[in-house]
Amino acid sequence: MNGLPFAAALPATLPHSAAERLAVLFDAHHERLYRLARRLVPTADDALDLIQETFLKAARAPRAIPSGFADEEAWLVRVLVNIRRDQWRKAAVRRRYHDEMRPSLVTGSDPEAALVARSAMWSALDVLPPRRRAIVVMHELQGLTMSDIASVLGITAITVRWHLSRGRRELARILKPYVGVTDDTD
Amino acid sequence: MTQIRDVLAAADPVRHECRPTEAERERLRLAVVAAGSRDDAPSTHTRRPVLLSVLATLAVIGMIVVTSSMSQRNGSLAQAAVRFEVRLAEDQPAPGLRAVRVGSSDRTVYVHPEIVVTNNDIEGSTVIPGNAPARFWIDVRLNAAGAEKMRQATANHLGKPVAILIDGDVVAVPTLKSPIGTAAVISGDFTRADAQRIAAGMIGAAP
Repeated sequence: MNGLPFAAALPATLPHSAAERLAVLFDAHHERLYRLARRLVPTADDALDLIQETFLKAARAPRAIPSGFADEEAWLVRVLVNIRRDQWRKAAVRRRYHDEMRPSLVTGSDPEAALVARSAMWSALDVLPPRRRAIVVMHELQGLTMSDIASVLGITAITVRWHLSRGRRELARILKPYVGVTDDTD
Repeated sequence: MTQIRDVLAAADPVRHECRPTEAERERLRLAVVAAGSRDDAPSTHTRRPVLLSVLATLAVIGMIVVTSSMSQRNGSLAQAAVRFEVRLAEDQPAPGLRAVRVGSSDRTVYVHPEIVVTNNDIEGSTVIPGNAPARFWIDVRLNAAGAEKMRQATANHLGKPVAILIDGDVVAVPTLKSPIGTAAVISGDFTRADAQRIAAGMIGAAP
């Protein structure tokens, strides 16, 4: 699977207990999950909380976790993204860009262009619903193909393409006045 | 025109921020593994509802960090029942304190005569994986009386050691990072067999 270095070998012996399996699961997947989580939430603390919630869900439903490294990771990613979606809904964080983000971007000046661009992009990402954001992040930053993403998230490649296209368009629209980006559709 | 991928990569927090610290990672791992251990609890113990288990797991986060060395001396841990004690300890000698060697190490701590909790205060114990292959820890859950005794005893002892004794030997001397409540983890270089013997032997009346 492109972009996710699934190089870690499965343990030579299967874990004996749920706790052991969780430990193995955590050791094998937490770093990659953290990288995804961090790209889905505003702060590093939020990312750690999201990881904890994900593994606690695994602890509560050990029989639901498939076996095999790739399947485990896909299951955990789906759980993580779903938790983030729930958080998004409950907190009603789907805010309009122009309500909250424009003032912080307009204050940027030339010497701070890079910082402004960084801030603008991450603020713009906050506008995307979590699953769309995850798809954009997985494709653009982790290098996963649409087929890979579809497999991980358990949705069709067509749905992935649709979310990716919409995500890019939304980001381009929001960012264009500030950093001059273009929707670089494949 | 800049492409979205370029701006995203330039703004990527994973590139610009430090990774979580080892302590953060360990705290997280501990909470996760402890949650799993609740499902492994022996059937002789009442299983808690899921919500309580999660709450108990969260309580684990604020507990002791053990940087201990373990004793594995001549099969003394192989008994079917073990005597478990927790006592406050000091790094410096003082009147009324007893000097005790920590495991097979050169470290000596000075333990208080009072026993804070003993086997009678344990609700359950479970072997959990440690932080290295073939290394196992013991997740100890105290009953309400034991938790209260631990809270009271440890609240004014922060930054100081606590001695965990198995059959009279000090096997671990964690330094208190926060008051201990309902749960604690005894970490160290336990083999699986030793950890299982200790965990199983903790339950029941103090020998």
